[in-house]
Amino acid sequence: MDVALEKKLRDDETLLEKNILVTNIDKLLNWARGHSFWPVTLGLACCAIEMMATGGPRYDISRFGYEVFRASPRQADVMIVAGTCTRKMAPLLRRIYDQMPEPKWVIAMGSCACAGGPFVDSYSMLAGADKIVPVDVYIPGCPPRPESLLYGLLQLQFKVSNPAKVRLMKHGK
Amino acid sequence: MENKVLKEQVEKLAAQVNGEVEEIIGELVLKVKASYVIETLKGAKSFPNIPCDFLHDLCGVDGVDHLEAVYQLTSLRGPQRLRVKAIIDRENPVIDSVTSIWQGANFLEREAYDMFGINFKGHPNLKRIYMWDDFEGYPLRKDYVTEPIEVRNIVRTRIEGE
Repeated sequence: MDVALEKKLRDDETLLEKNILVTNIDKLLNWARGHSFWPVTLGLACCAIEMMATGGPRYDISRFGYEVFRASPRQADVMIVAGTCTRKMAPLLRRIYDQMPEPKWVIAMGSCACAGGPFVDSYSMLAGADKIVPVDVYIPGCPPRPESLLYGLLQLQFKVSNPAKVRLMKHGK
Repeated sequence: MENKVLKEQVEKLAAQVNGEVEEIIGELVLKVKASYVIETLKGAKSFPNIPCDFLHDLCGVDGVDHLEAVYQLTSLRGPQRLRVKAIIDRENPVIDSVTSIWQGANFLEREAYDMFGINFKGHPNLKRIYMWDDFEGYPLRKDYVTEPIEVRNIVRTRIEGE
């Protein structure tokens, strides 16, 4: 092993005994971001009922630190697109996304937000939220159960905490 | 029993407005031409003793060769129900607005206009209610062809105040 690295590791260990952790600022910020998402309340259709159930005591989203559903996009960093996005709603959805401060992520919850769902051939339907906003996590289901939403949020947590790993996985390495 | 009394009244009204009376699953249906609709509904609203004075619902129907406006009437005083169908010409879909009789018809007529393109004459604010203002065509008509998905996925810019 590299002598310099070995010395650094030994230093870290002695610091750990004194209750001091050494990390870099990026990792710390990503860890903090990934463990306290503030979702914007964007319930468009029936998926919103499942989102509310996730927020309730039985599924208890606050176990993971995501319980702060914000009514204002300016205070939020995750947009959960829960439900059917119609073409009339699309410009407003985009506007809400634009109003969120960086860094921000999007979860498409349910078949409708993923790809249009059962209404894909309808005259009023936008086939998937990813046509207007960049989606990070897709949760299939009609509607997805609260467990699925929690799993989706945990996947997003993984993505946020390990940006390098996710980038490698995306390119098949 | 109630139905019998109502049927008498409806038949009397039908004779005045050249309408036909049918009974479909226990529900009286009165079919009239579009030009008689105001007279018919005013008549139904002022039936003696059993007025059908509450407009429950109003919707459009596409009958392929004609359009229909369907008025579901009930009463605030009893269980009587009456359905009035107004036959509208498909080429020139114009019918009198009933907002002068029921204020609540305002949004219902806007919906029928939005989905079927029925023009309600005398409506205070006849514009689209569900679809956006520059949407072309009337989506619930039988001959409406949905745009291909590539066109539908183009996001339009919202008009302020819409």
